[in-house]
Amino acid sequence: MPTKKTNQTSDVGNISVSISDAFLLHSFSGLGLAASFWIGYNIYSINLISDPVQTLRLLCIVEIPISILLHSFFRQNSKQCSYWKAVVQGVVGLPVGALLMAFGAVVLGAPVGIQYLVKTLYWSFLMSAFTFVPTACIYGSTWKDWQRLFAYTKPIGVLDYIICIPAHGALIGAWLGAWPMPLDWERPWQEWPICVSYGAVVGYMVGMVVSMIFVLILGRGQSHSKRE
Amino acid sequence: MASQEGSSATIFKAIADPPTTSLQRLKGLTTGGLPTFIDVGNSFGAPAIVEDNLLYQLVRNGKRVWMMGDDTWVQLFPDHFNKSFPFPSFNVKDLDTVDDGCVQHLFPSLYEEEWDVLIAHFLGVDHAGHIFGVDSMPMIEKLEQYNVILEKVMDILKNQSGPGGLHENTLLLVMGDHGQTENGDHGGGTSEEVETSLFAMSLKNPPASASSRHNTSRMFDDGNKVRVSSMQQLDFAVTVAALLGVPFPFGSIGRVNPELYALTAGTWNQPQTGVTSCKSQTSLEEWMQNYANVLCTNSWQVKRYIDIYSKSSVIGFPSEDLVHLEKLYSQAQDDWLRIQKELLSGNKSTNGSCYTSLNDLQRQIDAYSNFLASVTELARSKWTEFDLMMMGIGLGILLLSLFIHLVVIKRANKLQELTYPSIVETQFSLRFISALFVVAIRASSFLSNSYILTEGKVASYLLGTTGIISLRYSILRKKMPIEAFAFLLLLLTLRLTTESGLSKQTVGSLLMNTFSLNVFGINDNHPIWIVIPEVLPILSLIVLATLLYKTTAGNYCWRFLKYFLTVAICFSYLLIAVHWILESNMLATPPLLQGIGRSFIPRTIYAIGFGLLVLLTVAKFLDKDMAVSYTESILIKTVAMLSAWSSTVMLIMGRQGPFIVLASAIGGWCIIRLGISEKKTKDGSVGVSATDPLPVIQWSFLAVCLFFYSGHWCAFDGLRYGAAFTGFDEFNLVRQAIILFIDTFGVSHILPILGAPLLVVFNYPKRLNFRERSGLLVNLSQVLLIYGLITSITTAITMICVTIQRRHLMVWGLFAPKFVFDVVGLVLTDVLICFSSIYYFPRVVSDRQQDQTSAK
Repeated sequence: MPTKKTNQTSDVGNISVSISDAFLLHSFSGLGLAASFWIGYNIYSINLISDPVQTLRLLCIVEIPISILLHSFFRQNSKQCSYWKAVVQGVVGLPVGALLMAFGAVVLGAPVGIQYLVKTLYWSFLMSAFTFVPTACIYGSTWKDWQRLFAYTKPIGVLDYIICIPAHGALIGAWLGAWPMPLDWERPWQEWPICVSYGAVVGYMVGMVVSMIFVLILGRGQSHSKRE
Repeated sequence: MASQEGSSATIFKAIADPPTTSLQRLKGLTTGGLPTFIDVGNSFGAPAIVEDNLLYQLVRNGKRVWMMGDDTWVQLFPDHFNKSFPFPSFNVKDLDTVDDGCVQHLFPSLYEEEWDVLIAHFLGVDHAGHIFGVDSMPMIEKLEQYNVILEKVMDILKNQSGPGGLHENTLLLVMGDHGQTENGDHGGGTSEEVETSLFAMSLKNPPASASSRHNTSRMFDDGNKVRVSSMQQLDFAVTVAALLGVPFPFGSIGRVNPELYALTAGTWNQPQTGVTSCKSQTSLEEWMQNYANVLCTNSWQVKRYIDIYSKSSVIGFPSEDLVHLEKLYSQAQDDWLRIQKELLSGNKSTNGSCYTSLNDLQRQIDAYSNFLASVTELARSKWTEFDLMMMGIGLGILLLSLFIHLVVIKRANKLQELTYPSIVETQFSLRFISALFVVAIRASSFLSNSYILTEGKVASYLLGTTGIISLRYSILRKKMPIEAFAFLLLLLTLRLTTESGLSKQTVGSLLMNTFSLNVFGINDNHPIWIVIPEVLPILSLIVLATLLYKTTAGNYCWRFLKYFLTVAICFSYLLIAVHWILESNMLATPPLLQGIGRSFIPRTIYAIGFGLLVLLTVAKFLDKDMAVSYTESILIKTVAMLSAWSSTVMLIMGRQGPFIVLASAIGGWCIIRLGISEKKTKDGSVGVSATDPLPVIQWSFLAVCLFFYSGHWCAFDGLRYGAAFTGFDEFNLVRQAIILFIDTFGVSHILPILGAPLLVVFNYPKRLNFRERSGLLVNLSQVLLIYGLITSITTAITMICVTIQRRHLMVWGLFAPKFVFDVVGLVLTDVLICFSSIYYFPRVVSDRQQDQTSAK
């Protein structure tokens, strides 16, 4: 069913997304994450467990520009919306998403206090870069698209899969990442927001892989239908 | 003081066995056995100890025992004391009565000769901890007072301790039966709670044996390699029994503590068998021989107890452990016989053997100690008998009831579909699955002790998750996103306020406000910050009253009764406000008025609440205009029932009461609205679909969260004993138990279950045709049943987890209290569900009612 709709909607115009584009986008994000972990570990000799604040900052510095700049290429309505406008949308979306993420985290039980403020800030910016920014870059403030992606969870077409599944992966990963926190193992990584960040990163990665699989299946279906 | 007294005084770290409640500790101290858990429940009305114990042995051997202080002693040992001065121990707000009584009787008694053992049990520190916490002024004052008392006692004892004096042979033991956590509560097994100190001072100071004691203690250092300056409270009973020369209690598994024994060994003259003639024998050796003798008796007694125990009990100890013990014992016994023989022969022939016998004795003592230590270890790990049969039956019954629940819910669904065959329900929607998933997570989280410890956080995490899910749905349906957001916001504020104010309950709401202000660096000494905590509860009371008025105003049922009800409730809210104003000491009130405020007003509120309850129940049976407007009648009934309870619950909960009740009202409203949004859009006709489980689950989780937010937790130190004394000063078991019960379960069980019909009522229009009417009733019964199902699922899983973890280290500390709380909660839930199914259902539909009750 969705494939038929895709043909109808994605032909309306905009920038079309090929499978290789999707692959490039994901591999850039993935490489960005890996590189920032590598840089942190080898150059600054920090990791998420020993220095959560610095590592999260590094992750944000690397991942936010990648997310904004790359996703802006795939903006909808490219006629009315220039590349830089999409970038601005992403930049505006970043703090809004961070605010939402921080709110959600605190509702679910993240500790509040001066000593956690900076950590929560960086964590929510990272989460926003994973979830909020791509959609903000691509769809701007079209409520319908947001609703379709995050309430109905009914992605249509390659582009939707690319942004929707990793975002949900990051959210679910972060949600699952909070589970070991109350356990009495007394490991340093059980602190907020270390394991939650790990969960988000892992979830994001898994989401990217899954979305690639979906995109591949979708692409094959599309090419089949076109041939027929 | 220990250093002052040199060799005649020592401090031990006495380690208690959980549960660390006074009754269990007293029992453990006197019988020398391990406490059983179920006794905690008896803490309120303790039955006498029937097992053999230290005091019984003392009495039987003609020792005179005096007691003063905590009346638990008298309950435990009703006719063991020659003289007793008991004082009531359960009014925790009272810091001084028991202690003053103690002091008053203690000092005269010290000059008298009429006793052999004198017990003085002070309670002030315990109560100060319960009420004010460890770092409070009253606590410091109490401790300083105790220091003064202790110094005075020691002065008196020392003055009398000369040769031939009254206290020549007296041993002073100062100890705590349990510790306290930071909050001043106790009952669990954390190190703060189990570790106490024991100070022992012997007043006899014979110069000759003083050096030998030095030797022995040093000798023990070398012998044991490490100086164990701690002792188990388990060992207390036998050690004291040995010191006083009375037989050991039968059920004791303790070991005579060498250090405490050494302290006073010189005072004990048991007739020895033929060892005194050895010329070269040092006093050290003599002492060691004494000690070995004592240990021999001790081991024999423990052995006998273990043997009888494993014979009489069904399951007993594992046989390989018993064999191991047997071997240890017989080995030690053989050695001992040999040594005794050697000693006897050595006395006759050569003196040289005495020298070697020292090492033998040391080895002998080690052997016995080894035996006793392994017995204790075995007992501690395997002590408790688990009747697996009974556990299985209980579990089976619970699972059966789960099954019945499910069947009845299914049947109700079927009925629904029969009446409205047109509506096809998508049973396994994402919403349904996520709801199930959340319940499953919560239930399985009880497998780990850490999750039980942080159950409140887990519950609020899951509730937040369901809130986010329903936010997602409300965006999906384009309806009520504000309610969903408000719900999350409410959770946030609840969490923040309780987190910052998670301190003592009596000053809870006051601290709740000032503490969070301190974080932001605002001076909390400003008068505004003192006034605000006083005014805020009253403001939220007013809000609640207006809410009540609003809901009843538009209603046309029960016209006469309604006005009466509103007036009565508003009056009792007013009384609560007056009560708090009088209590707060904000205004200078004459003491007479304060007395009225303290006792008379709360009692009036209880009376009004109870009267309203009776009136409502009676009105239910006289009710005639049920047929006029179905929904409204159920609505007004629910509101009336809730408000009748609310005033009592709020009063008992103290200042935080109105906040919590207001929060639950807002939260409940959000849940109801979200539930409606789902209903109305799903199908064209109104609310005839099967009941949606998500709002019910949210309702139930909100109840669980409120339990924790209102300062409770699933442990016996989580009971707010202070609340039991609102309106009453003196202790009465039944009355205080009822008040405590309402405090504990009021906001988490009573209000939510009685309020559950609200979930259904708002889905229906005011006027119903016959079909809709039966649909409403089916929905209502489903809501109640699902609520019951959720509670029984969690309880069943808790039971399974406790069964699995019955050898867990924390089983008595965490799992068992959790289990008890859950079971009590389940029973209460079922009783309330039965009550509300009788109360809310009209008599017309009797078959549904039978369904209800059969499910229970």
